[in-house]
Amino acid sequence: MKTHVRISRSTVSLPILIGIASLGLLALGATQVQAQDWVRTGTNLGAERIRIAAADFKAGSTDPQTPALKATFDATLYSDLASAGIFDLVSKSLIPQATPGTPQEISLPQWSAPPASAAMVAFGSVSDSRGRIVVYGWLFDTRNTSNPQVLGKQYNEAASQDSARVIAHRFADEIVIRLGGGINGIAETKIYFVSSRTGTKEIWAMDYDGQNQHPITHLGTTSLSPRISPDNTRLAFSSLSREGWSIKMFSLELGRPVSFPAGTAGGSNFSPSWSADGSKLAFSSARTGDPEIWVADQSGSNLRRLTTFRGPDLAPCWNPRTNAQIAWVSGRTGLPQIYTMDLDGANIQRLTDGGYAISPSWSPNGIGLTFSWNRKYGPGDPGGQDIYYFDIASKRWVQLTHEAGSNDYPSWAPDGRHIVFERTIGGHTEIWTMLADGTEQHQLTHSGNNFMPNWSWK
Amino acid sequence: MDSLLEGSEHLERELTPEPIIAPASVSFVLHGALFGALVFYGVLAGFFHKNTWGNAGPGGAIQVNLVSNAVPLPSENPPSQNVLATETPSKAPAPPAPKAKEAADPTAIAMPGKTQQTQQQPTQPKTQLHQPQQKPDNKAAFGEQAVTSMQRATQAQVTQSGPTSVSTGDFGSRFPWYVDGINRKMSTSWYKPEVDPRTPKGTRVYLTFTIYRDGSPSSVQVDRASGSPTLDRSCVHGVQRVDTFGQLPPGYTSSSLKVSYYCEY
Repeated sequence: MKTHVRISRSTVSLPILIGIASLGLLALGATQVQAQDWVRTGTNLGAERIRIAAADFKAGSTDPQTPALKATFDATLYSDLASAGIFDLVSKSLIPQATPGTPQEISLPQWSAPPASAAMVAFGSVSDSRGRIVVYGWLFDTRNTSNPQVLGKQYNEAASQDSARVIAHRFADEIVIRLGGGINGIAETKIYFVSSRTGTKEIWAMDYDGQNQHPITHLGTTSLSPRISPDNTRLAFSSLSREGWSIKMFSLELGRPVSFPAGTAGGSNFSPSWSADGSKLAFSSARTGDPEIWVADQSGSNLRRLTTFRGPDLAPCWNPRTNAQIAWVSGRTGLPQIYTMDLDGANIQRLTDGGYAISPSWSPNGIGLTFSWNRKYGPGDPGGQDIYYFDIASKRWVQLTHEAGSNDYPSWAPDGRHIVFERTIGGHTEIWTMLADGTEQHQLTHSGNNFMPNWSWK
Repeated sequence: MDSLLEGSEHLERELTPEPIIAPASVSFVLHGALFGALVFYGVLAGFFHKNTWGNAGPGGAIQVNLVSNAVPLPSENPPSQNVLATETPSKAPAPPAPKAKEAADPTAIAMPGKTQQTQQQPTQPKTQLHQPQQKPDNKAAFGEQAVTSMQRATQAQVTQSGPTSVSTGDFGSRFPWYVDGINRKMSTSWYKPEVDPRTPKGTRVYLTFTIYRDGSPSSVQVDRASGSPTLDRSCVHGVQRVDTFGQLPPGYTSSSLKVSYYCEY
């Protein structure tokens, strides 16, 4: 009797002990995860960045409005160049005190010498006269004393804070395209996203740097996964209505929804995606009972089905380079995985080898995909949902986010250097942006919950 | 009937014993003659022995005695005509013979108060004697090289201008930022892992290509091959991967730009 009791006690106490120990370990692990940092190092890590200095522009007039416009312009230009991803921007505290307004006033040795040590310097003047803001901007190569001018621009707009920002964006884009090897800058691009800050999930838009956030739709229902057309005129998204989940089309030019008959048939319709020429739209539809990938013309006609396999098929995404391939998520083997296929439904290839992979987004040059992947999905495997980059030719992948919340819905910027995504930390979802190598992560939204960002095409 | 006849004839031919005695004896004679000729040649060759290599005794190979395990090389220092600076100094003069000890006079009477002078042993002078110089050992070093001799290896010159050279007029001096842009673009589009790792470090392949006004490269050619096909191919692919190097500068009037670029493994 005694022995029996002893045995039973030990059998009871062991799991409890293990439980307590594992709880302690979990707590320890959680604190360690919070405290862990990532260091990136190595040799030959891409090209050296251009050291560029953005001088404070000279106020060209004594108008009382000028200082405010100049401050906006300087701050916007500085942040545009800092986030371009190709520059090593000289800190404001290291640049010379002089504010040259014209090429005659600049002394290049002052900028090329330490501590600025700039290879390039952007300078100019901002003036405000009779309600017009006039900006002269130059970009000079400090090491080339005989022929320093790389760029010279003049802008003339109606004076306002917005136009000061727009001019700064344009000038920054000119610098980026000139020094960045012919790839257009993204300073004038927009990000479309879903926000629930008005109570219902509506489609919102903002500038690429998180400024100027404003709602697009006021449907009073739940709208998801906005996708902007390549010509920036139409917005496709899925929305809940009396017919169930349907694909809606919203014209930004008209400011109202327009019809898209292919997206309203029975069954749930989700996740639209534009082809790069804007002529076609792929989406997921369960009108046959099983969610499959369908393709229709942008007018809603010419509907045809691409996938026929049993199991859910979702989240299509076109190869923007060839316009002839689609990557999508399929649950045909159980957990969702990323697949690619040709436009006729042939040549199906599975990319991911396991885990829980969703939300593919094809890079603008067509070489790789980003998607959200939980590589160790399942009970007892507390893997994180992180953004990965997958090189299609070599089938190798790189993890871009590390141990910071749950990350989903990556979307490429048109320059192929930036990625926007949503990150959930503690039940709070916000929009973040980062460079395509996972560095320089910045939060763009700070109020309410914001989901499913989509970067515009230009 | 006909076939039956033919068959019996065939059977008869089969049954008749073939004549083997005559051919066999011929064969025996021939083989015997061949064997006899071989033995005869061997015996005959023994009489006319020719000593071509080594000795006739066992181990008839040439034997080389290693005189030195190193090949003497000429001295690095040129022979000096200066007598004072000769490497082979004359020998130091022989130390003088010790003086014969003066024999104490047995008849002498020791004087009180006069101490006997202690005979001091001649001590070596404190100055450093001339050390004979070590003869330089002009041996060629084999096998593992000493660290000091490694420094004679030529170092690759690091050029400031980078791997791109533009062959059209003064483009490089007027628009160095564009040339830098080519370097940056190529450094991201050239994938080094594509190159066979056996390629020696520092191997270069030179390419030429043309950049049109819109920045697109074309007519990529290997100008000087590296000897490593994988390096040549990867460098060409690097250029082909680039969509655009960016529009040619507006101040540049010509329609295209000829570029020479090298990939160094």
